[in-house]
Amino acid sequence: MNLITLIKIGWRNIWRSRKRSLVVIFSIILGLYGGLIIASLMITLNDQRMNTAIKTYLADIQIHDKKFSEEYSLKDTIYNIQSIEEKLKSDKRVKSYSKRTVINGMLSNATGSYGVNVLGINPENEIKVTSVYNKIIEGDYFTSKRPNTMIVGKKLADKLNLQIRSKVVIAFQDINGDITSLLFRVEGVFKSGNSMFDDNNVFVKNNSIFSNLPDLKGYHEIPILTTNSNLTEVLKSDLQNISNSLDVKSWDDIAVELAYANKMISSFLYIFMLIVLCGLSFGIINTMLMAILERKKEIGMLMSIGMTKWYIFLMICFETIFLSLVAIPFGILISYITVDYFSVQGIDLSIVESGLENFGIGTVLYLKLPSEYYFNLGLLVILISFISSIFPAIRAMKINPVEATKSI
Amino acid sequence: MIQTEKLNKIYKQGKLKVKAVNNVNLKISDGEFTAIVGPSGSGKTTLLNCIGGLDKPTNGKVTIDGEVISSYPSNKMIKFRLNNIGFVFQAYNLIPVLSAKENIEMIMLMQGYDKQEREQRSNDLLNEVGMGNMSKRRPAQLSGGQQQRVAVARALASKPKFILADEPTANLDSISTAKLLDIMSRLNKQENITFIFSSHDQRVIDRARRVITLEDGKIITDKKK
Ligand SMILES: Nc1ncnc2c1ncn2[C@@H]1O[C@H](COP(=O)(O)OP(=O)(O)OP(=O)(O)O)[C@@H](O)[C@H]1O
Ligand SMILES: [Mg+2]
Repeated sequence: MNLITLIKIGWRNIWRSRKRSLVVIFSIILGLYGGLIIASLMITLNDQRMNTAIKTYLADIQIHDKKFSEEYSLKDTIYNIQSIEEKLKSDKRVKSYSKRTVINGMLSNATGSYGVNVLGINPENEIKVTSVYNKIIEGDYFTSKRPNTMIVGKKLADKLNLQIRSKVVIAFQDINGDITSLLFRVEGVFKSGNSMFDDNNVFVKNNSIFSNLPDLKGYHEIPILTTNSNLTEVLKSDLQNISNSLDVKSWDDIAVELAYANKMISSFLYIFMLIVLCGLSFGIINTMLMAILERKKEIGMLMSIGMTKWYIFLMICFETIFLSLVAIPFGILISYITVDYFSVQGIDLSIVESGLENFGIGTVLYLKLPSEYYFNLGLLVILISFISSIFPAIRAMKINPVEATKSI
Repeated sequence: MIQTEKLNKIYKQGKLKVKAVNNVNLKISDGEFTAIVGPSGSGKTTLLNCIGGLDKPTNGKVTIDGEVISSYPSNKMIKFRLNNIGFVFQAYNLIPVLSAKENIEMIMLMQGYDKQEREQRSNDLLNEVGMGNMSKRRPAQLSGGQQQRVAVARALASKPKFILADEPTANLDSISTAKLLDIMSRLNKQENITFIFSSHDQRVIDRARRVITLEDGKIITDKKK
């Protein structure tokens, strides 16, 4: 007996009760589609969240002074910044960088006061690294000639009831440990796509900081963009080697929760898809058991004329696996088409925008799905259908050949 | 030669014991054309199943050419059936998804015949049973009589020592029955194939050269013509 005959019989058998087979095939297609689209959504959401964070404020790498990272004290500026800058300018892996001063303070007006991170930036340089300039929804991005202007996040602006040209006061400890306060005017309001960030951060010009704090002589933070995200880790350790007093971190060191989500997502997705497919396998088992029950006599006849139990087993396995082999290309195809369509078109989530923005995701999702997911899920379906075939196949093996001689 | 010694098959139904085959001693020589007859429930099917190794006797033994097949484990028995016994059942003889010819070829495939021999033999056999022009049809596209003729061809394909047929004509009209019997008896004479078949039908019984009558699982008469 050769396998080709068995495969031929198995293949033709699945088309005997066309409707029933189609129902199973259709549910496998749907399961696959559901699994892949959910995977794509999750991966896209996560990626977009990551990218929003990196593009708007994190950058790929940040350099701080070691002490600053621990105490956030104004006096702990980055030492010997010229030599670092030289290195950054000559390194081909560095796409761009900027220099920031960072002040932890209280922002207040008549409405109330909130703790914020004041990021002092050089507006022209900062454009090359992060994209806040792109996210201004009201007012301008530091075009005013006035000295003390500030850009605030939408969320904070709403909480403090800030308008363009509203006055706010920042209170903080200066280099000597004395409480100082500075007056700023709101010049613009931004919406980064991450409302947590919008809630906690405001931007001001470095010039305003330095002119108000003559004692401050340096910068606290250098955000760096790399030309290729694969280079981040190597560049990070190269930069760390410059000096022990530096604290060089990549974005995943800084935003630990983002990095963790990124690492966990694929295992989470495979577990999720496994559960979906397990549900599917019950449908497959049920259908195959029905098919075998209907064909008791025929299977008895096959055993009578000399088909061994092992071949009966294989025949049922083939039938089951063929059902999934028919379904998989369709499932993968429609998933691919869907993902491909929405990778260009985007899914507009403006209805639920505010909810998603808390997670740092933009309003339009551009779906994507790494090709290994299609492949692995296809494989998983074959595996599951093989496992589902074992039980019915064993049942078929146990059929008594005497069935063939029964007239009813 | 097929031989049964003190063959018993007892079915238990609750406390009731049914002796479907009761102490049957039987010898069937090569080349016989034998009918097993008897009223419904007399044990014809059970006896044939025991002889063909589809069922295990409760006690006693079945010997075929000196081999005690009634003690074979099931997979060994399946292989033995493949190479030594041809079966024709009352219905459900053929695999519905294969054509007449493919049905015949399949059994030869299981035995490992090469392609050329399969081709040749399946054509010969289909012609032999008068089905040469319907070789491509699937069972559903054949009449009951035509299906039974293909089943006989299939049973012959494996070059068995003998063919067991349990009421092969029960679903057929008289013309088809006569045709099938013509074929069977011709093959029996020409190729010296042993046929053992059961039947209710007097016209079928008349064609047999030996008639064994069962009642309550026992042989009550055994007539050779
Ligand atoms: N699986 C079984 N369980 C219990 N009793 C059975 C079983 N199979 C057959 N019998 C009993 O064994 C006896 C013989 O049955 P068998 O089928 O051999 O008769 P038969 O001569 O072939 O009848 P028919 O002409 O109706 O086909 C009957 O009394 C039947 O009820
Ligand atoms: Mg019977």
